[in-house]
Amino acid sequence: MKKSPLWLRLLVIVYVLGLIGVPLGFVFQRMFAHGWSALVSAFGDPSMRSAMWLTLRVVLVAVPVNTLVGVGVAIWIVRHPSWRTKLIDRVIDVPLAISPIIIGLMLELAYASNGWFGRPEAALGLHIIFSYPGIVLASVFVSLPLVSRQLIPLLREIGDHQEQTAASLGAGPVRIFLTITMRSILWATAYGVSLTTARVLGEYGAVLIVSGNITGLTQTLTLNIGSNFENYDAFQGFVGAGVLATTSVLILLVLGVARHRERKRHEHLA
Amino acid sequence: MSISLEHLSKSFGADAVLSDINDVVPDGSLTALLGPSGSGKSTLLRMIAGLETVDQGRIVLHGRDVTKLPARQRNIGFCFQDYAPFYQLSVFDNVAYGLKVRRKSSAEIRREVEELLALVRLEDFANRYPRQLSGGQRQRMALARALAIKPEVLLLDEPFAALDAQVGGELRQWVRSLQHELGITTLLVTHNQAEAMEVADRVVILNRGRIEQAGAPSEVYDAPANDFVRSFLGPTTPFDGEQVRPHDLALVDDGSGRSGQVRDVIRLGFEVRVVVGFADDTSSWIQLTHDEAQRLNPAVGDKVTVARRR
Repeated sequence: MKKSPLWLRLLVIVYVLGLIGVPLGFVFQRMFAHGWSALVSAFGDPSMRSAMWLTLRVVLVAVPVNTLVGVGVAIWIVRHPSWRTKLIDRVIDVPLAISPIIIGLMLELAYASNGWFGRPEAALGLHIIFSYPGIVLASVFVSLPLVSRQLIPLLREIGDHQEQTAASLGAGPVRIFLTITMRSILWATAYGVSLTTARVLGEYGAVLIVSGNITGLTQTLTLNIGSNFENYDAFQGFVGAGVLATTSVLILLVLGVARHRERKRHEHLA
Repeated sequence: MSISLEHLSKSFGADAVLSDINDVVPDGSLTALLGPSGSGKSTLLRMIAGLETVDQGRIVLHGRDVTKLPARQRNIGFCFQDYAPFYQLSVFDNVAYGLKVRRKSSAEIRREVEELLALVRLEDFANRYPRQLSGGQRQRMALARALAIKPEVLLLDEPFAALDAQVGGELRQWVRSLQHELGITTLLVTHNQAEAMEVADRVVILNRGRIEQAGAPSEVYDAPANDFVRSFLGPTTPFDGEQVRPHDLALVDDGSGRSGQVRDVIRLGFEVRVVVGFADDTSSWIQLTHDEAQRLNPAVGDKVTVARRR
């Protein structure tokens, strides 16, 4: 393969280092600036610990929900097209187009105790806004299309002949999904799941509105980082940022593997 | 197993794809559904397999009404034009798929898959994956996979269309001899009349969702029911206000035919086409064998008389 021109390679290096490498390095540099004992005690900070725990609980619900919904919606849109699926296909991108802070406001207007769904919520004894369910709701909303967007073009490309052949060989829908469909979309789903996880972990605006940002109660890790900086506790903020950045780098690694597998699959198709 | 199609109709929205299809595919036959694209032949095949719903009418497999039965309960082998290999599974697991569904023991599965792979001459490819196979090998794998469930009927959708001419030709002969050996009722869809005539022992000609004619290849060729069948099965040329086969015309010298003048001579090696113009401004083309052309040696401008053979 021909090498790219020198100026292009330099531009890419400057871009990657200047925008990602150096700033990320500073986060870790600040995190370790006060030595190990300071770091250990920062990890002991109860508000950060509760924020990490809350974020984990949100991820553990929002990501599986969006994975299931994403796979289901993608299969529905591709395999059973109708005017309904066309509508859903358009609407499902809305969360990516709207600013998260507006999503937060939308959800608050609808689900707050004086909002649209306020009465049925009260009747059921539910508190959504300013509590855990609201944070999950906002996280699900902002990352809604990330799995299905990966799967829709792939399912279209694969077509339904394999599934129909399996049916003619006597397989039922569950077996067809597990042995044929799922095996073909596994890596694309993994890619979508890692994108979803990264999005849920990093969400700030929508969660800020619906959670009420109550330290120790409804504060996720991103909100905790923000409030530490606002309260002039930069070191504590950098420790939180380091934790989040490390997690993101790990997710990127998973993403890399998934993309590599996907690309290999495409090369084989040709 | 015979297949009876009784008053079958199907529409997609306002478009009638099939209207009032009636036919009986005889037990053990190799029948070709032949028609131009858009004639409804693939839809008909998919309906028999249970992959498409029936609007009206019945499909009866050897006395058993399967019209409402889902595909997986019909026990019909179906091969798509693209062979639809299970890309994530090895050749062995592809062929074993239907046997695993039927919960056979692994020893039984191994024995049966090995037999089938030998039958389609893929014994050495059991551990390969579909992407490592050629088009012809994929087709044979798909056939073995369909045959594994011991289907009552085998349905093949354009089985040779995706292959190059030489491989396609070899596989046609192979599929024909395999079908004779197994005696399984087989229905294949094709748009290629030469392929249908070569492979099938019965041809059903479809046009715009209706059956135009059904019968043995020689029957439908020699006694076409109408002009569509005649022109679809082979070349025709106008003569005396009728459509006739160019090889049914001859250049004669006993004065019995119509006189005209040779306008063109096209030599294709094994056959020679002679275009003759008549006084009433019509023209016909006549197909001569290589020997006839050598004997008569027609040239542009020659005065000739044209008559029907026999």
